[in-house]
Amino acid sequence: MYMELTTPGVATLRRDLDQAARDAETADVALAASGDGRAFERLYRTHVPRIHSLARRMTGDEHADDLTQDVFVRAWTKLSTFRAEAAFGTWLHRLAVNVILARRTTLGTERGRYDDTENALDGVASRPHAAELSLDFEEAIGRLPDGARQVFVLHDVEGYRHEEIAELLGIVPGTSKSQLHHARMALRRHLER
Amino acid sequence: MNDRWTDRLSEYLDGELGAADSTALEAHLPTCTDCRATLEQLRRVVAQAQGLEDRPPTGDLWPAIARHVGVVSLEARRARRRLSFTVPQLAAASVALALLSGGAAWLLERRQTAGPRPTATSATTSTPMLSNVGTYEANPRYAAAVANLERLLARGRSRLDTATVRVIEKNLGIIDRAIRDAQSALAADPANSYLNLHLAQEMRRKLELLRQAAALAGART
Repeated sequence: MYMELTTPGVATLRRDLDQAARDAETADVALAASGDGRAFERLYRTHVPRIHSLARRMTGDEHADDLTQDVFVRAWTKLSTFRAEAAFGTWLHRLAVNVILARRTTLGTERGRYDDTENALDGVASRPHAAELSLDFEEAIGRLPDGARQVFVLHDVEGYRHEEIAELLGIVPGTSKSQLHHARMALRRHLER
Repeated sequence: MNDRWTDRLSEYLDGELGAADSTALEAHLPTCTDCRATLEQLRRVVAQAQGLEDRPPTGDLWPAIARHVGVVSLEARRARRRLSFTVPQLAAASVALALLSGGAAWLLERRQTAGPRPTATSATTSTPMLSNVGTYEANPRYAAAVANLERLLARGRSRLDTATVRVIEKNLGIIDRAIRDAQSALAADPANSYLNLHLAQEMRRKLELLRQAAALAGART
């Protein structure tokens, strides 16, 4: 016999609250697009953890603040182009990926980004510093070569498909798959410690 | 150890290996301890990546962003207003305040002597802008924010001129009516996304108006 495991009222309430949150965000996007700075600040407060984390994982700690600012400044100027077909968070995330990837050249992070050899990743696992033993997973990601790190973050953390990653990075899907596997293997060996 | 399958394990894990190769790898796995162990470790790496939590920046980046986009924060506006008063302006303001206070006292006295309207008078003279429509029980945080702003506004109300008070009251009344209308309509059609959006906008507008009014009255939010 089928058993009802959730209370229908709770599910309805949660759905209503989610809907209300989405509505409030839609209202804020509209207000911000018309020049309301406080509405834009609310959007910033809601989304900054995700955008900053993305920037930090893709480029490292020292550039994350700068890039996050760039993303939100760019978002402010492009708000009028936002169409509500997608969620604002999805739109902002895509914008952030583009801003971050566009800055790779300026930051010099393009060096070795498509290094497809496992040797390039060995250092992640074999660096003999004692301090590394205490590195957390985020730090281990930060030690990956740029190309492998970007593919790993986009695929395993952010959920992009290889075809999308290939298009974003200007590589072929096969290279994206290969970079991803190397990144995972390096991180696997790091986690073994 | 690295056999011909090691480099295909990620593809297998992601379901991107062709059917024939998947079948062959699945036949290989029970016979290969290393591949089984590696596959399990890769699975753990992916799970760990998917479970990463987002962290905000250590410092607040908003002031720099606000400067870039030309947005003046409420805090900065208050500070600017506090600093921009000159002595002649303050003198003029105190004269205006004295005149307004006198006018208000005269009006109050006149109203009290005009006849018995005790209920309406007490309702409008005590907290005219503070009437809570009492319909936000479903959203306690919103209700608390509104109540807090109304309290702050009541505290700083005497610093506002009567024309401003009148405009604020009028606008709050319009917004409250719009909120009540939206709520009534939603009671009949709860899934209507336009009505939900409209209600959210009106509630937001009320909060914004109260924030502005409280700031204008010199209250701290």
